[in-house]
Amino acid sequence: MAHQGSIEIDGVVKESLPNTLFRVELENGSIVLCHLSGKMRMHFIKILPGDKVRVEMTPYDKTKGRITYRNK
Amino acid sequence: MINIKTQQEIEIMKTGGKILSESLWEVMSSIKPGVSELELDALAEKLILQKGGEPGFKKVPGYKHTICISTNDVVVHGIPTDYRLKEGDIVGIDCGVFYKGFHTDMSETVRVKSQISSLKSQKDEVDKFLEIGEKALNESIKQAKIGNHVGDISKTIQTIVEVQNGYSVVRSLVGHGVGKDLHEDPEVPGYVQGRIERSPQLEEGMVIAVEVIYNTGGPDLTLDDDGWTLRTKDKSLSGLFERTIAITKNGSLTLTP
Repeated sequence: MAHQGSIEIDGVVKESLPNTLFRVELENGSIVLCHLSGKMRMHFIKILPGDKVRVEMTPYDKTKGRITYRNK
Repeated sequence: MINIKTQQEIEIMKTGGKILSESLWEVMSSIKPGVSELELDALAEKLILQKGGEPGFKKVPGYKHTICISTNDVVVHGIPTDYRLKEGDIVGIDCGVFYKGFHTDMSETVRVKSQISSLKSQKDEVDKFLEIGEKALNESIKQAKIGNHVGDISKTIQTIVEVQNGYSVVRSLVGHGVGKDLHEDPEVPGYVQGRIERSPQLEEGMVIAVEVIYNTGGPDLTLDDDGWTLRTKDKSLSGLFERTIAITKNGSLTLTP
């Protein structure tokens, strides 16, 4: 059975929660709960509210995402 | 997390893949004008159970059939209905088998031909469309060796389907890892997404289902009211080819030949 691929969308971090979870407002207006990707944790990249980030989302759960890049 | 399978697990999947392959090829050979989709579904289920496997798709929550049948403009996940196949239709059948704890996944698309017309060797646009899909699948499987990236497989599919022949690869559907779950990591898209070196590297013990899903027209899809069937937005024809392959020291091993 075919699998639907994940999509990358940009968004703005609205608030930061404990354990590197963030509430991000995506370009289409929806607010999703995102966690920081392992690669970013490994390289100690900090994310603050107000940062523009790229979020990877699966079509199977539209309420959760993974932050994969912090745009400058 | 990409699950690496041991030699014994790959042997189990090889047996499961053989069950799937034999059953699917038998179903494909029974496709003639007048056969209904539900009959093909029942035949597939009967063959799989006879050979000792279980229909893998029945384990997907919400899906109650053994095969997904995609006629003409249906791209994937077509639910079998009592529609009777007509001469000239293209029919894609996607089937999966669950055997001793492991899934295998395979698809094939053919043109519906009666005995008489299959003797004529004239090939038209639609036959060429299907041949390109098979070629893309075979060429991309050759790219599946240790040290290559998933992006190499994607690039081969995209080059053959889009660049060389002008069809379009469906963007929203991807190939996937196969194992204890039907869909696992990594995602194997049919088009290049970002830099090839950044896509997962292929290692020994990985088992992936490489899927070539492509349309004669544009790549956009619409979802039907039944919540499953995906159709092409511009009603163009869609082809579907898939094989489950294991990455071994000596290159790729097709578990569902």
